[in-house]
Amino acid sequence: MPTATPPTTSKSFIAVLRSDLHFQRKVPLIWGVSLGATCALIAAMWPSISGAIGAAIKGYPEAIKQAFSIRELSNVNQYVDVEMLSFIVPFALAFFAIRSATRAMVWAEEHGHLDSLLALPLSRRVLVAGSFLATAILLAVNLLIMWGMTLGMAELVGAHASPRALASGFGNVFPLSVAFAGFAVLLAGFLHRSAAVTGIASGTLVAMYVVDLVGKISPELHDVRIASAFRWYGSAVQDGFAWSHAVGLTGVGLLLAVVGAELFQRRDVL
Amino acid sequence: MTAVIETAALTKSYGDSRGIEDLSLQVPKGEIFGFLGPNGAGKTTTIRTLLDLLHPTAGSALLFGLDSHRDSRAIRSRIGNLAGDFAYEDRTTGNELLTLFARLRGMDDLGSAADLAERFRADLTKPLRELSRGNRQKIGLIQALFHNPELLILDEPTGGLDPLMQEEFLTVVAEHRDKGATVFLSSHDLSEVERICDRVGIIRAGRLAAIESVSEMKGRAYRKVKVALGDAVDAGAFASLLGVDSVSIDGNTLRLRVLGDINPLVEAIAKLDVRDLEVTAPSLEELFLEYYDEASES
Repeated sequence: MPTATPPTTSKSFIAVLRSDLHFQRKVPLIWGVSLGATCALIAAMWPSISGAIGAAIKGYPEAIKQAFSIRELSNVNQYVDVEMLSFIVPFALAFFAIRSATRAMVWAEEHGHLDSLLALPLSRRVLVAGSFLATAILLAVNLLIMWGMTLGMAELVGAHASPRALASGFGNVFPLSVAFAGFAVLLAGFLHRSAAVTGIASGTLVAMYVVDLVGKISPELHDVRIASAFRWYGSAVQDGFAWSHAVGLTGVGLLLAVVGAELFQRRDVL
Repeated sequence: MTAVIETAALTKSYGDSRGIEDLSLQVPKGEIFGFLGPNGAGKTTTIRTLLDLLHPTAGSALLFGLDSHRDSRAIRSRIGNLAGDFAYEDRTTGNELLTLFARLRGMDDLGSAADLAERFRADLTKPLRELSRGNRQKIGLIQALFHNPELLILDEPTGGLDPLMQEEFLTVVAEHRDKGATVFLSSHDLSEVERICDRVGIIRAGRLAAIESVSEMKGRAYRKVKVALGDAVDAGAFASLLGVDSVSIDGNTLRLRVLGDINPLVEAIAKLDVRDLEVTAPSLEELFLEYYDEASES
């Protein structure tokens, strides 16, 4: 009877990546298209409200404008930024990233799938890495769909959006989501329950948003914003794409994921 | 003979709860080893520790001479495993699952999957969620066997299979052994173990109660003897015979148990008017319960 040898790490990695993308193949339809449709709706509304909204914004209290990073609303890019990219899109996609990145870990563990998968010559680190990359790819595809739908609708209604500004805005969601995906992988490195991982990671997402919001309007708490991922997220539509922040957030996400994978390698699968 | 599985004082505990304790056993190449015990005895914990899903608290486990944790990937490329209740993504069809598992095993094709699917009458085209537990288990059996592993680790593999498929499963396992494979079979189906296993390990409350060959176990066991006689006899005459106990008389029927040499008993009853004689070997189940009683007493 011949002695079998394990496949190379790259072969295992590609197999995991392919299967993860296959199992989540409907994600762009569910997340990308639905969020893209909402963004497109916001863009479609712009021509009809552009006159009134500028005047309305001027009447907003300064603290509210600061809290929600509203400076001026003179074009569709800024309107999409305030309505979608300051809250709904980053929250939704970070939540997706949390769920997707830990799907092959705690979710699979709860459903007994890991028993089948880890009886194969597959390293847990490779499983996490493949799953993490699949999450990143799906995030990018979702954002691309949303960008395309928003831009298309803006053109259709004559709102004339800036492809570059919108690309900066949607692209800026990617590092934030990767950071939370990494945090979720870290949690899955020692927790066994999917609900606990999702709950803690999502709770942290909300807490960081609140910390950033409060820090913006309260001078005493201004310094605590540094601990919030949203401080580094900012507004790419209004301020331009901050490469250093993007690289920093992505790096933190990757680092947390590496630590999570290492913990996952060492822990029991229950 | 080289040991394919060798554990030394293997212990796994979960906080305050017991898993397995000081488990030491050896399974040589080419053997079908039955691992018996009731639910919660530690069978699955042992298997999960061998597969590196659980890390030992103390002691060691070697498979093919390799450390179960450090060399886990190399070990897992040489084994086929089936969990008691096989589960995977329920949208996956058998074909998709086997294709993925083949890739993760570094195989260029699906090995003997088609042949096994035919033998187990498994439908590889339906998603797992549309299959009954037994039919899902068939997919599990195929993925455990399709790469012709050197070691099969099977945790209560026949759950949900109908009797015909159980029969086919036993045949396939025997064929694998004939090809040189080693089999570690956890079960609480004693008849299954009795039929195909060479040796049996009995686990109780996380500890190994005994390891013996099936024939040894049966050979050293009591046989039950029932003798229908023409006349009434005195039970005392039999109770004093070597190896005889549990003597009872019910009318003209004598019942007793005999351990070891049966000749003194045969000579004793030959002097009587014997109408019928029945000697029954104990089932493995009775032996199993006896081991439990002995272990409880000790």
